[in-house]
Amino acid sequence: MLVDYTGIIKKRGKGIMFQKGKKMLAIATMAAVIAGMAAGCGSSSQTDSKASSNGPVKLVYAKGKEAGDGTRQLVDAFNKKHAGKIEVQYVELPADSDKQHDQYVTVFGAGGTDYDVVDVDTVWPSEFAQAGYALPIDKYIAKDNINLKDYMEGPMRSVTFKGKVWGLPKYIDAGMMFYRKDLMEKAPETWEDVVAQGEQLKDKIDFSYVGQFKQYEGLICNSIEFIAAYGGQIVDGDGNITISSEGTKKGLEMMKKIVGSDFVPNNITTFAEQETHNAFIEGKAAIIRNWPYVYGMSNDPKQSKIVGKVGIAPLPKGSVRSAACLGGWSAIINKNSKHPDEAWEFLKFMCGPEGQKMNALSVSGSVAPTLLSLYKDPEIGKVTLLFADPNFVNALSVTVPRPVSPVYTKLSNIMQVEISNYLAGRQDVDTAIKNMDAKMKEAVASS
Amino acid sequence: MVPFMDYYGTILVKKGENMEPAIKAECSNKTNRKLRIKKDFLTESRLGYVMLAPAIIIIFLLAVYPTFRTFGYSLFDLKLNHPTKNATYLNYQVNLEKYFSNYDSAKGLLTELQTQVEGESKEKLAEYLKILESAHDKLLKQSDIAAKENKIREFTDRGKNIDDEALKFSSLNEDGIQTILNDYSTMREYIKKLKTEKKLQDNALQTSQLIDELRDSIITPNFVGIKNYTYYLNPENKDFWQALVYTFFFTVVSVFFELVLGMMIALIINRQFFGIGIVRAAVLVPWAIPTVVAALMWRFLYDGQSGFMAHVFANLHLIENSGVLLTTHAGATFAAIFADVWKTAPYMALLLLGGLQTIDNSLYEAAEVDGATKIQKFFRITLPILKPTILVALLFRTLDAFRIFDLIFVLTGGANSTETLSTMAYKTMFAQMEFGRGSTLSVIIFCCIALISFGYVKLMGAEILSDKR
Repeated sequence: MLVDYTGIIKKRGKGIMFQKGKKMLAIATMAAVIAGMAAGCGSSSQTDSKASSNGPVKLVYAKGKEAGDGTRQLVDAFNKKHAGKIEVQYVELPADSDKQHDQYVTVFGAGGTDYDVVDVDTVWPSEFAQAGYALPIDKYIAKDNINLKDYMEGPMRSVTFKGKVWGLPKYIDAGMMFYRKDLMEKAPETWEDVVAQGEQLKDKIDFSYVGQFKQYEGLICNSIEFIAAYGGQIVDGDGNITISSEGTKKGLEMMKKIVGSDFVPNNITTFAEQETHNAFIEGKAAIIRNWPYVYGMSNDPKQSKIVGKVGIAPLPKGSVRSAACLGGWSAIINKNSKHPDEAWEFLKFMCGPEGQKMNALSVSGSVAPTLLSLYKDPEIGKVTLLFADPNFVNALSVTVPRPVSPVYTKLSNIMQVEISNYLAGRQDVDTAIKNMDAKMKEAVASS
Repeated sequence: MVPFMDYYGTILVKKGENMEPAIKAECSNKTNRKLRIKKDFLTESRLGYVMLAPAIIIIFLLAVYPTFRTFGYSLFDLKLNHPTKNATYLNYQVNLEKYFSNYDSAKGLLTELQTQVEGESKEKLAEYLKILESAHDKLLKQSDIAAKENKIREFTDRGKNIDDEALKFSSLNEDGIQTILNDYSTMREYIKKLKTEKKLQDNALQTSQLIDELRDSIITPNFVGIKNYTYYLNPENKDFWQALVYTFFFTVVSVFFELVLGMMIALIINRQFFGIGIVRAAVLVPWAIPTVVAALMWRFLYDGQSGFMAHVFANLHLIENSGVLLTTHAGATFAAIFADVWKTAPYMALLLLGGLQTIDNSLYEAAEVDGATKIQKFFRITLPILKPTILVALLFRTLDAFRIFDLIFVLTGGANSTETLSTMAYKTMFAQMEFGRGSTLSVIIFCCIALISFGYVKLMGAEILSDKR
């Protein structure tokens, strides 16, 4: 009997223990889950700094995809020079600059340290500075005695905001015209000439003219070239919207005339830079509007069918002037970078004479330096005839900047939609201008 | 658990009459009593909740919390690229780091500027200098700012960043702040105008920029209530209404074709014939491809110059010429719906196939005996039995189609008025960095989806109640 009782009691005890264990298990699981979540939220930042204590400091440099491998060479050269101390990892982002912008905003907006140095379009520095994504580099400039007067004035102005310098210009771009020397005696001088020559050329070649008319940032560049050529202006010096004018109307009407003609691709409103240069180097287009990089590419026998047949000229005149959209890229440092000093070393190298020269010399790069001294460099002059060409210098001299505004992206988005609706025939030019005027004013006022 | 405990409990009571004292004592000692109390507290249902708690917490953290968070953001004028609106603020605050690192230089430059001008401007600038100083005094009197000053200057003088938020920010009393802000604005505008004079250009510009910084160091509450909603929902906002109508249009048309096509596919692959396995697998291929990849593929197929589908459509005279597909509203809409139907009809078919396979074959045999035609059998037997399945499939697809993003983003990027609510929300949030308005759009999408789901559940609920239970 006794055995029985104790057995039961023991069993009972065990039963309770088991139950208790289950409860404990439930509570422990819960605690583990919560702890895991808490840990997951806050501990991601610790790993990086640990890695850097031994071995070289690792930096991440991001820029949009480019046609050549100039940047890779540049990064390799820097890594070699600073072997053991700094190691730069190069990350390529999509070629579409709007996508790069969104990527940077996503990372920097969250205070991320994914990228230490990034390339920025001329229109971004003011926005990134205002948002607190970029590190002001004035103290580094003072420390290393960088003379900012060595740089071209226009690009330098784009990285200066609220009296501080936020980055260094890497290269300058300007919209320019490339044409087939074998198909025409001389480049068209006005947009009317483009239309007239286009009509003549259309039997000889697939497309007489190609530009960028897809709804994206490139459309803005093309539009302001047309608008400025006919005397229009988007924003005045004090940041007021001045888009509503006769010049804007005439410019947009000319643009529509070309887009709607039968000598351009029937899907020209899906064309960006890449589609444009492909059509050109494959020998399908007679006249194109693009950035200077096309020069190197179209004379590269490996990818081009039109080597030696390429002429360059400033963009055609409207009723007032010839206007080329000012482009170009600068490099900035992420404000939250863990290694700002090393990031500055890389920035200084890349945007200094050495880095810019490498960029200018790379075959498919052929990007124009922002350092004035490099234009006199005999080595560069020998390799790239582009910079020695008076037409190139002429093209650079007629640039118009895109509006400088901390709400630039919004202004750009508004214009993209309204202008592409006009080009697609969904609204007339007056409605487009009226809508742009009202929406852009609202955007500036609410900022 | 309770019956389990009771089982041992009854045995104990039964045999307890003859229990030896030692064991009796053990039975009724304190531990046992405690356990009994616990037993009462942790009933079966309560333990159930305890076990479920982690899941409930996870659901709350992952689903409910973000929804409320988004709703909260939608009530603020939140702009990530704006220095004073990049977070949600409910009261007035001052960023002392910014303020102190700019105040001295602003004052110094203003004094210098004053010596460079004559007459009326000189008086005006002297007046502004006084305003600047009195604003400074006013601020120093507020809360703990004066006490913090030295500590903050230690950082700013050395050009170091302050990480300590409590030190960096001080809350402000609302009184008089708006006047200070207005003063800063008028000062800035006036000084900016001075830059027309050549010799003043640099100094005037810099001073106005520094005053800008001072103004930006004061943070005003950016709670706007339902203003973001009225911004979108007011009939004047054509872009929004266009996107909303287009999204609905896209959803209805694409889901309709998906249902019809999906049903056809399901009926075919429900039959037994040679190679059915391969056919079933092949049909599912479009569904297995990630949407972004599929969209990229379609973009090449639709390309006006070299796109295969574009030329096929053009040769069939479905479209005017091969360039139309992605460059006009009608073309792009057709292209997007076609690609979406191609991609998701198999999914529809899969869901419907599941329903078809539950239908008892004897029903068809009985109908055969009664002399029903194939069409009669489909409409009298298949469709009624399949109705609940169809509703579930429709619900899934409608919700999915309404949130369409990747396909449109890749194919057109919202060009030619093919903007949907999701692409619009993305652009507002990530290109323009207006998180307040972007969140508002997200909440509107959420509400639309909730309404659609509610409608379907009503329909389905009625169906299930009347037929099955």
